[in-house]
Amino acid sequence: MEPHLSEAGEDVVELDIAPDGVDLGQIRWMLSLTPTERLELLQDWVDGILALRNGRVRD
Amino acid sequence: MDASGTRFFKLLEVLVRHEVEFVIVGGVAALLEGAPILTLDLDVVYRRTEDNIRRLLSALEEIHARYRDPAGRLIFPDTIRLRTNRFNLLVTDLGALDLLSDLGEGLAFEDLPERTRSYDVAGVRVRALDLKTLIEVKERVNRDKDRAALPVLRRTLEMKKSEPNGST
Repeated sequence: MEPHLSEAGEDVVELDIAPDGVDLGQIRWMLSLTPTERLELLQDWVDGILALRNGRVRD
Repeated sequence: MDASGTRFFKLLEVLVRHEVEFVIVGGVAALLEGAPILTLDLDVVYRRTEDNIRRLLSALEEIHARYRDPAGRLIFPDTIRLRTNRFNLLVTDLGALDLLSDLGEGLAFEDLPERTRSYDVAGVRVRALDLKTLIEVKERVNRDKDRAALPVLRRTLEMKKSEPNGST
């Protein structure tokens, strides 16, 4: 994990990312969900992103 | 498709409503550009001015944002952390949100506008990094995870360029 000091020096928040870039915190979060919750999360996310994609504005 | 009820859309709406200046990057930006990849968090680069940090904090408070701390402590974002941390990995009521100060040298918020595309749904207007820049960033960072994503991003960019109307 990459240590990350806050300027205040209190409550140092460790970056929960492996050296290869994998977000370990995200894995932990997913593991805390039930399979149904994981699928609902994925569906929700995909629905939102695809809808946004359909709103592409030609600059 | 009515996306307004999705947590993803609500997360964007909160940021926009609080007038936060940000650019979507990472997996969501790649997906918006058509890359068939999976992502379950929203990565954004935010402008690191005092005013924008203040607005960002208001948004984060509304959605009860806290750090994804491996030690399990409850740590909330604050002005100092948003001003100094390069990465702020958060969990919110509406999903995972990663706040980045920059994408590397020469790629802070102020450097990004010409490298973005605009999206507007139901009055929520946002900008997201273009695929070419996403690829450059991953090539620069060069971790295993980033290298693993490059083939599909590169192929997507090639195929977008070769579309009949040249649309990218």
